[in-house]
Amino acid sequence: MRINDRVFGMLMLILAVAYGWEATQFPMPFGGHESVGPETFPIMLSIILGISSIYMMVRPDPDEKWAPAAMLVELAIVVLAMLAFAWAIEPIGFMPAAALVVSFLCWRMGASVSKSVMTGVISSVAIFFLFNHVLELALPLGLLEF
Amino acid sequence: MDTISLLMQGFAVALSPESIMFAVVGAILGTLIGALPGLGPANGVAILIPLAFSLGLSPTSSLILLTSVYAGAMYGGRISSILLNIPGDEPAMMTCLDGYPMALKGKAAEALAISAIASFIGSFIATIGLVILAPILAKFALKFGPSEYFALFALAFATLGGITGKNQFKTLMAAAIGLMIATVGIDISTGVQRYTFNTLELFEGVDFIIAIVGLFAISELLFFLERHAGDGLKQVAINKLKLSAKDIIKVLPASIRGALLGFVSGVLPGAGASLGSFISYTLEKRTSDKGEFGHGDPRGVAAPEAGNNGAASGALVPMLTLGVPGSGTTAVLLAMLISLNISPGPMLFQQNADLVWGVIAAMFVGNLVLLLLNIPMVGIFVKLLSIPPKYLMPIVTLIASVGIYSVSHSALDLYFMVGFGVAGYIFRKVDIPLVPIILGMLLGPEMEKSLRHALVLSDGDWSVLFNSGLSIGLWTVAILGLVLPIVVGPIVRAKMARSKNSTR
Repeated sequence: MRINDRVFGMLMLILAVAYGWEATQFPMPFGGHESVGPETFPIMLSIILGISSIYMMVRPDPDEKWAPAAMLVELAIVVLAMLAFAWAIEPIGFMPAAALVVSFLCWRMGASVSKSVMTGVISSVAIFFLFNHVLELALPLGLLEF
Repeated sequence: MDTISLLMQGFAVALSPESIMFAVVGAILGTLIGALPGLGPANGVAILIPLAFSLGLSPTSSLILLTSVYAGAMYGGRISSILLNIPGDEPAMMTCLDGYPMALKGKAAEALAISAIASFIGSFIATIGLVILAPILAKFALKFGPSEYFALFALAFATLGGITGKNQFKTLMAAAIGLMIATVGIDISTGVQRYTFNTLELFEGVDFIIAIVGLFAISELLFFLERHAGDGLKQVAINKLKLSAKDIIKVLPASIRGALLGFVSGVLPGAGASLGSFISYTLEKRTSDKGEFGHGDPRGVAAPEAGNNGAASGALVPMLTLGVPGSGTTAVLLAMLISLNISPGPMLFQQNADLVWGVIAAMFVGNLVLLLLNIPMVGIFVKLLSIPPKYLMPIVTLIASVGIYSVSHSALDLYFMVGFGVAGYIFRKVDIPLVPIILGMLLGPEMEKSLRHALVLSDGDWSVLFNSGLSIGLWTVAILGLVLPIVVGPIVRAKMARSKNSTR
C-alpha cells in the first residue's frame, strides 16, 4: 500500500499553496516596493514544498506500518496525559502533576501500579529538589505552597 | 605557530576547575544518555540544552558541557550496542556486528574496553584534525560574500540527506518545512508580521529549542511506547576484564585507520558518522579479515567505534567554521550557539577565539575523562541498562519537559513541545527526516538575510547568486549532493544491509 505518502503529500501541497498565497498578501513595507521584500523567500519555499509534495504524491514510497487502532488510542491517551501535565503544572504544582504523569506513563508502558506510583513519586520529588535547591530553577509548588 | 599558542590559551580556559567540572559532568551525563537504548547523542544534547540555557551558564561553560555530552553519548552508544545488540543511533549500528558476538562469547568486558580505547583514539585524532583544519577553513570562509553564503546554506540542505538518505525529495521537503517555520514572526528588515495570525506569542517566532525537544524526545517516547511497551531487554552478563597489551596493540592500526576515515567523513558535508563507522568497518574487514569478522573480532569493534567518534569530532569542523552543521547533533549544538547569541562561522575564530579554543581544548580534556570513566567505571553505566525502559522513558520525558518549562516558565511552551512531538511522530511515520527541519529553523533567518543582502546589492539581479567561481563551485557540490544519493545511495544501502544481515 502506498497511501501514507499520497495523503501526506496532499496535505503538504495544501500547506504550500496556503503559505504561498498568504505571502503574496503581506502588506507593502514602508517605503514602497523593493526588488526583494518579505515575501520573496516564503514564495521560494512554497514552490519547493509544492514540488516535493507533488513528487511525493506521484512517486510514493511504500507505507510504514501504522500501529493498530488500539495502540493509536493508547498514544493519543499518552499525548493527552502530557497536555494535562502542561495544564496542571502551575495550578496544581510541579510535584503532584509530575508524580501523576510519570506514574501514568510507567503504568501505560507496562509497569505494575504500585511500582509506577513509586517511580512517579520518587522521581518527581527528586527532580523538584534537584531543580529548586541544587540548580536553583524555581518550579511551581502549586497546592503544596502552604 | 599561531595555532599552538591559541590552543595553549584554550587549555588555560579548559583547565580551570569550573571547566573541568562541566567536562566531567557532561561526560558522565552523555555516557548515561548514550548507554540508554533508544536515546542517541542528538536526543541527549536536545534534552540538556534547555537546562543549560535556563541555568544561565556562560557560553563557554555551556558549550563545554554540551560538547562533552556529545562526546560522552558517542562513547556510551557502544554499551547498548555491545550488551543488548541495540544501537543507540545509526552510527552505532556497525559496532553491534562484532561487539555483540564478542559479548555472547563471554568477552563483553574486553569488547567494552577495546571500544572505549578505540573511541578515545578516534576522538583524539579527530580533535587534532580539527585543530589543524578548522583555522584554515575559517580563513578561507572569510572570503564568502552573501551570495556564497546563500549557496553554502543550499549546499548544507542538499547534502543533509547524506549518501545513505533514501528519498531526496523528502529531505528537501523537510528543509522547506523547517525554513517555513523560521519565517514565522516579525520580519527583521521590514517589520512586517509574517504568519503570526496576530498572536503575541508568535511575534518572536517559534523557539527551536522547543521544536528540538518535541521532535526528538517526545516523538521518541511515542515510538518507544509503540514498539516495545512492556518488554524487558535481555542483557549479556559481563565477565572479568582480561586485556593484555598485546590485545591493545592488535587493535591499534584498526583504530587509527578508523579515526582518520571517520574524521574525513565527518568533515565532508552529507557523509556523517553513519558513513564514517560503515566505511571504517568495511575497510577493516577488507584489509584484515580472515573469516573472524562478524563473529566477534576485536578489530571489528575498534574500527567502527574509532570511525564513529572520529566523525563526531570531524562534524564540528564545518559547524564551527562555516556555521553549517554536518550532522543531527551538531545541528542541535548550533542551536545552542545561536540561542547564546553567538553566530558560528568564520568570524567566530576571530571574535570569540577564547571560546572556540577553550572548547577545543576541553574536548581533549573531556576525552581523557571519558577514557578514565569508561574503563574502570563501565560497570556503573552497565547497571543503568538493567533498569527497564518502562521506568526510564517517563523520567527522561519529565526531565525534558522540566527543561523546557524552566526556559521561560510558560506552560504554553509545553503545549508546543507536545505538538511538535506528535508532528515528529507523524513525520517519522512517513519517513520525513527530522534533522533538516531543525536545520531549516536554525539557518532560515541567516539564509534569508544573505539572499536579500545579495539581491539588494545587485539591484534585484538574480544572477548575482551564480557569478563568482566560489558560488558556482558550491552550487555544483550542492547539486551533486542532491543527485549522487539517487545514483549511489541504493548501492551503499544494499551493502550496509548485507553486511548487517550476514552476521545475524
